[in-house]
Amino acid sequence: GAARTLPSIGRLSRGLLFGGAHGRVGLSPSSRLVPPAPPSQENIDSQKIAFLLRKQWTLYSVTPLYRFSDAHLRDYARLLSAFIAAEKQKGLAVEIGVELGIRVAISSLPDLRGSDRDQAAILVQLSSRSPATPKNSEEKIIWSGWFCSVSGDDFSENVPEDFTCLPLFLANGAESYTSIVGSWFQKTFDCCFRRLAISPLNLSWMAAMWTGCKVDKTASAMELVFSVPHLTQPLDISYAIHPEDAKALWDTVQKTPGEITQEEVDVFMDCLYSHFHRHFKIRLSATKLVKVSTAIASAHCDGIIKFLQSQYLTGVLMLLTELAISQIQ
Amino acid sequence: MDETVAEYIRRTVLKIPRDEIKPMLQKWGFLSEAQLQTINFHQLKDNISQDVVQLCEENSADIKQAAVLDIIYNHTYPNKRVWSVYQMNKTGEEMDFFDLTDFKKKIKRQLRSALKNVTITFREYEDNAIWIRIAWGTPYTKPNQYKTSYVVYHSQTPYVFISASMLKSNLPLLCQALVVASNYHDIREMELRSHSLNSLKDIVFKRYSQNFQTYYPKPLQERDVAPESDLRIIQENKNEKERIERVNREIFGDGPQPKLEFAQYKLETMFKSDPKRDVLDKKEPFRCLVKFSSPHLLESLKSLAPAGMADAPLSPLLTCIPQKARNYFKIREKKGLFPGSFVSP
Repeated sequence: GAARTLPSIGRLSRGLLFGGAHGRVGLSPSSRLVPPAPPSQENIDSQKIAFLLRKQWTLYSVTPLYRFSDAHLRDYARLLSAFIAAEKQKGLAVEIGVELGIRVAISSLPDLRGSDRDQAAILVQLSSRSPATPKNSEEKIIWSGWFCSVSGDDFSENVPEDFTCLPLFLANGAESYTSIVGSWFQKTFDCCFRRLAISPLNLSWMAAMWTGCKVDKTASAMELVFSVPHLTQPLDISYAIHPEDAKALWDTVQKTPGEITQEEVDVFMDCLYSHFHRHFKIRLSATKLVKVSTAIASAHCDGIIKFLQSQYLTGVLMLLTELAISQIQ
Repeated sequence: MDETVAEYIRRTVLKIPRDEIKPMLQKWGFLSEAQLQTINFHQLKDNISQDVVQLCEENSADIKQAAVLDIIYNHTYPNKRVWSVYQMNKTGEEMDFFDLTDFKKKIKRQLRSALKNVTITFREYEDNAIWIRIAWGTPYTKPNQYKTSYVVYHSQTPYVFISASMLKSNLPLLCQALVVASNYHDIREMELRSHSLNSLKDIVFKRYSQNFQTYYPKPLQERDVAPESDLRIIQENKNEKERIERVNREIFGDGPQPKLEFAQYKLETMFKSDPKRDVLDKKEPFRCLVKFSSPHLLESLKSLAPAGMADAPLSPLLTCIPQKARNYFKIREKKGLFPGSFVSP
């Protein structure tokens, strides 16, 4: 068949090597580094990022931010808050008078990055009190969004001084708030947000990469979801494999330690498709792969991700950063 | 009238689509035609249901009458629930004469002796279908009218269709009562579940069109073909298309398929690969769980081969669903003579 190349053929993934040393390694274009094993890379405080787990994040790519400074986060929060209030006055906001007032908090997450060469992640949170809750009670977070870059230094190196590179944006909460916050950032820092869809090709990569990750506790199944929408009656197929068996298969497919090639991903998926075809005589390769779910994360082709384990968070973000950068260029 | 009964009637009426409220109340027959005339069925449903409750109050409705309205609603809209199929067995060959009164008496006795607080309502329909509605309570609490089980029993057959609801613990009791009341020996759950009650009946009563041995070929539509294409390829494609259609017809039959929404396969077969590939070669099963879902699964599967996504014939694992009357399967590798074939217990 035709050679399938990654969208980021010019982008070589850098990052922490398997084993912890820094450094650059020449890789063949159609391959990526294996996500680092957790224990030695545990530089992320699991407590602090627990709020990121088990939530649905919608993905966007963001072009570099002009004249953004992480020393002015408080000011930005104030300005964004005023902007939101103004939008609400105009009647452009969301729910009918539920919130009393929206409080904006913008903070830095220094642990969420690949290396020192990455910009630290920036977290934006919108919280509110509803009229029902008593005055001194805790505010409820109604929307979260964060910018990040993991091993995106290859991209950021080529960008002029005044720009800050945080190419990946993740949002959780009402679409209307995402829109308002996005508008403010676009206006203020002259950047551009775009939804980041995930192609079936990249979903296959995720399936292969994440299946290979070693997980401590009893892992959940490796599930692939396919959609066949254009029949007279649409059909969805869920193909879930016991995580041990999936990993056993992947371990015999992956030959080069520390590195995964396109060919290995193809062989892995092909094995799964053949096994399925043997039983059902259906060619899964002719259908659309829409979702991949493993113990460490799940990803949907519409650009929605869920992180399930903190240990491999950086590895997943590294891949997503790469996809975001591809879309920008 | 009891407040809980009033509320129950109000909520039941609210479920009914506006245009169907009057016909359903007429079927119910609890309110007189004269009373029904006084209701404005064009107002908001909230108000309609209030009016209905008012009239029921005048007639002193109790839970028994309210339960009948609920059965009528569920009989009209059975697809809102998920139904499982059970099959009863008896050793003897004789068909006992079915005594409806005796059946009802025994059901009531069995359930009441165990639980004391149950609301049991029966309603008979054409085609020998007996609908049973059961609201479960305990020896210490009143029956919960919102947590009900429904049973549809066709007395001339060994099949029972049950929509159980949350109280799974009462299922063995219910099954026991059915076996005793219908003079059977035991009952087993078939691996067949769907929202479409009628489709389940079609499958177990073999009412769908099955494959016919004789087949009269229908001429296929002529397709406009680009003139520069190779004529041999066109003919080959056409032959293949015809073959697929013919094979599909042989397997699926001519008529409409029973409506199922899902099929599930637990695979415990071996992983076999191309020996050149040098991949997994374990002696243990490659464990998978495969779920197919669609608004109309069998029609969907039927269209896969013509759409080029599957081989024709499709795997017997899929095409056997109506004949085997099941949509949950556990597939193991068949040992011995034909290593490539599968066994479904």
